[in-house]
Order: sequence, then C-alpha cells, then structure tokens
Amino acid sequence: MLEVRHVTKAFFPRTVNEKIALRDISLTLKSGDFATIIGSNGAGKSTLLNVVAGRYRPDLGSVWIDGEDVTRLPDYRVARQVGRVFQDPMAGTSPHLTIEENLAIAWARTRGRALKLGVTNARREQFREELKTLELGLENRLTARVGLLSGGQRQALSLVMAAFTQPRILLLDEHTAALDPQRAALITRLTDQMVERHKLTAMMVTHNMEQALQLGNRLIMMHEGEIILELRDEAKQKATVADLMSEFDKLKGVQLSDRTLLA
Amino acid sequence: MITAIDLGLIFGLMALGVYLTFRVLDFADLTIDGSFTSGAATAATLIVAGWQPLTATLAGTAVGLVAGLVTGLLNTWGKIHPLLAGILTQIALYSINLRIMGKANVPLLRTTTLFTPLRDKGLLGTWVSVGILAALLAVFVAALVWFLSTDIGLALRATGDNEGMARAQGVNTDAMTLLGLSLSNGLVALSGALFAQYQGYADIGMGIGLIVAGLASVIIGTAIINNGHIWITALAVVCGSIIYRLIIQAALTIPWFDPNDMKLLSALIVITALLLPRWDVFNRLRARSRDKESAAEAWGDPDRDPDPEELDSGDVRAPRPGIVKKVKRADA
Repeated sequence: MLEVRHVTKAFFPRTVNEKIALRDISLTLKSGDFATIIGSNGAGKSTLLNVVAGRYRPDLGSVWIDGEDVTRLPDYRVARQVGRVFQDPMAGTSPHLTIEENLAIAWARTRGRALKLGVTNARREQFREELKTLELGLENRLTARVGLLSGGQRQALSLVMAAFTQPRILLLDEHTAALDPQRAALITRLTDQMVERHKLTAMMVTHNMEQALQLGNRLIMMHEGEIILELRDEAKQKATVADLMSEFDKLKGVQLSDRTLLA
Repeated sequence: MITAIDLGLIFGLMALGVYLTFRVLDFADLTIDGSFTSGAATAATLIVAGWQPLTATLAGTAVGLVAGLVTGLLNTWGKIHPLLAGILTQIALYSINLRIMGKANVPLLRTTTLFTPLRDKGLLGTWVSVGILAALLAVFVAALVWFLSTDIGLALRATGDNEGMARAQGVNTDAMTLLGLSLSNGLVALSGALFAQYQGYADIGMGIGLIVAGLASVIIGTAIINNGHIWITALAVVCGSIIYRLIIQAALTIPWFDPNDMKLLSALIVITALLLPRWDVFNRLRARSRDKESAAEAWGDPDRDPDPEELDSGDVRAPRPGIVKKVKRADA
C-alpha cells in the first residue's frame, strides 16, 4: 500500500547548517496497517510524514502509494489519496466556511471538483451520518461556521474530513498534542474508531508513548533520521512504556559515548 | 441622487470583483485600477470602430480577464508579492490602455452604446434605469453566489481562508488564485466598459484610485450587514457601492468641495470605514447578532480577541485607551 524506499532528506544541504532529517529510510505499510511513530524532537518523524504527503520532496529515494510513484507529484495531487490531520486544530479546517462546506471540500478531494453545488441534500445526509459517529452533536450544526467551534471539535472535524473519503493513507501528525488531556483522549478514541470503521492504512506521529502503544498494530521508533526500533503485532502488544523508555535510555548512552569519543 | 444610484450599481460590479479578491481570496489586488480602464478603453475604441456595443463590452471584459491572469501568474508562478504583482500589472496596463485608445480620451458621441435606447427616451438617471441596472446586478450577484457554492467555488474560498488546509484537501491553490483574479478583473473591466458607455467617454485616468472605491464599498457593505451568509455579503457589497456613491454625492454638495476633491473624500471615507469598527460602534451591533449563534465553547473570547481576518485594517492590537469608551454590555 505505502512504500517508502531509501528516502534521504536534508535541510539546508551543503551549508554549515545542514541537517539530515531522514537517512536512508525504508518502510512498507500493508493495507490496514496502523503504525505509530515515536522519537525525540528532531528525529525526523514529521519530515517522514511530510515526505509521504508530498510536502517535501526527498533528496534520494522514492515514495509509492498503491503501486504508483508519487515522489514527484505536488502535495495537492498526493492529497487525493492521502488524508492528513495536523497538530494545530486550526490548520485542518477553514474557519469562515460552515461545517458542511468544509466537509464538501473534503468530499471533493478524492472525487474531483466541477461546477456543481458543493452541498447537496444527498451529501448533507452523508455528512450528518458521519458526524453522528463523533457523538459531539455537530450533526445538528451543519450550517455553523467552523470558527465558532472549540479546538477539540475542530480537530474531530479535521479527523472526519481526512478519513471519511477513505483515503489510501491517513497521516496524523501529533494531532492530539495541542489538546487538553480529556479532549486528547476523545480524539484518540475517535481516531481508533475511524481507522477501524473505514479500514484505513494509517501513520500517526505522537509523543505520548501510552497512546503509541494503545493504538495500531505497528510501532516505529525513530532517532536522528533513522528507524531504530520496530515492533509488530504481538511484540507491540506486550511492550510497555517502561520498555520504550529503556530503549530511549540506551540511545542516551550512545550519545554520551559519542561525545566522550569526540572529547 | 438617482444618478448616484445608477453609478453605484455600475460600480457595484467592480465592488463584487474587489470582494472576490480582497475578501474571498484574501489577495489585495491593485490591478483593478488598470483593468477598469482597460475594459472601458477596449469597449469605447471598438464601439467607435463600429462594433456592436454588446460584443465590444464583452471584449472589454475579456481584456480584464487576461489582466487578472497576468497578475495571478506573476504571483503564483513568479512568486511575486500580491501587492507588487498588482502594481506591476497596473502600471503596465497604463501604457497598454494608451495603445488601445491611441490617445488619452475616446468620446462616444453619436455612437450607439448599450445605454443609447435609455438615453434617447430620457430614461437615464430615472428609476427605470435603476431598475434595469438593479436587475443586471441581481443576475451577477446570483451567479457569483452560485459559483462560490460549487465545488470549485468552495475550493476558491478555502484557498483564501486557509491555504494549508486547501492544499491538504487536494486543492490546486495556484489555479484557484489565477481563477479568482481573472474573474475579479473581468467583473471590474465589465464595470469599466459599462461606465464608459454611461458617461459617454473613456479616459486614461478613469481608473486611478478605484481600488479605494472598491474597498470602501466592500468595507461599508460588510460593516453594516455581516452574518456570514455569502449571498447576503454579496448583496451588502453592492449596497455598500451605492451608499459610497451617495456619500460622495452628498459631500460634493457641501459648498467648499469641488469634484477635484473626490479622491480626498474617497480616502477619508475608507479611513472612517476602517476605523469605525475599531471604535466599538459596529462591534456592539455585530455582537448582538453574534450572540444568536453562540458557540457552546468558543475558542477564545471573540469580544476580547478580535479576529485579524475580520479587521480590514489588518491590525489586531487593542485600540488605544482613551479612544475607546469602555462599554459594559448588559448581556455580557
């Protein structure tokens, strides 16, 4: 379904500020896989998501979605097959448009746009059904402007917009990080339901290790642009936060020895 | 006074164009000073050359579409700042307009224009011409609102509202910018073509400072009525254009002013319209309607944190103490 082949991406290449964000990353997600990605700041998690989404073009390597090479496509073309939810709850929705208009824009993402009314009665019914699954009462406020919603509600709406068109890949970039614990738990639960219900292939970046263990069937730990640990199905089920922490601690040891060597 | 309404309606088309870029696309487009004259110049020159007035008007509109496209290309393909892209096209159009007309002024005396039937019957500047122009504007408002409700129109609005979201939803934002600018300048050029036929000549200087009139119409209109429904906003913009013309005409009757003071007056009107919302006058009016569709849990306090996109002056700093009288609302 998703194949990342030997991708390398550097920022500010050939300058003193050069920062290699991804080093020869290879990753394959099968249809229905849900991978959570953890790692310290600057590990390259978000860069990896942005490369898959077509926001960044890799320096080396390629990205394949469903057997199609999307490495060189602009991000809005890749978006036809990829749904995204951002960390900032304001980023995924259009504040001056109504809930139903936002959903109509998402609806047209996979189906293309023409000079036809965006919100029709048939579509409105579909939107209402989708919003009902959130149990936030948004289905009764279809004509309210999105700017009036709270951060949690907007993030829930972003999630629906990214997922209900059944994209081939769903990318979640720390999408619960900006919310209070209660809302974060709600969005986490909704994410799980949504991926389950639409049978999506998903990648989620998170800093919350509990969340990383709770969701999905695969776990990927990144450090300095490389994948350093991969857990699948049973191994992931058995893993605990303590296990992950000890992996992180090992890394710190490595860093320390590096520094000692340099000194 | 009725002439002012006539003009307000003709310039209403221009105001709709400004609304499309300034508000919907969030693109401060200065091309319109040039494209308005282009529309007028093309239509007038072709009418003098013996073309049918309707075809000549449409040709003028087409020139406007192209002018908008050029600004759009400068901005999207050339990555030039919107303001600069507009100014560059505008200044280039000045020479092009002179080329089109061949001189600085093309009179339409003794030619058949779209307004000739009305003028011959002495109906110009009466309620009949107002009615006809109002019907024309109604058609354009309806078409614009319909367009902005289609899938493509929604994508255009999302591009202006939240570009990152639009791209993530598969919208080619560059194409939308090109489309929006073209349509906007097409409307402006059409307005110019009609205005030239109404007043009986095209002039190289007729578009100078027009952006101010356009902004005034949009700002006055949306300051008075703003409930977020797009068709009400579009109507409000046309009303804003009429009100603007009425204010100008009223101001010119003050003995000391003469027609040369018009640009000064337009600037003053826009400054007033920009500052009034900051001085709490309209905010209180708006707050009343806002309370009706109150949110269960709003993100921030709309009364304390002004939305920068709602403020046309683009400055979210709190007004200076002393200018604002603190008003304690009973319903707060």
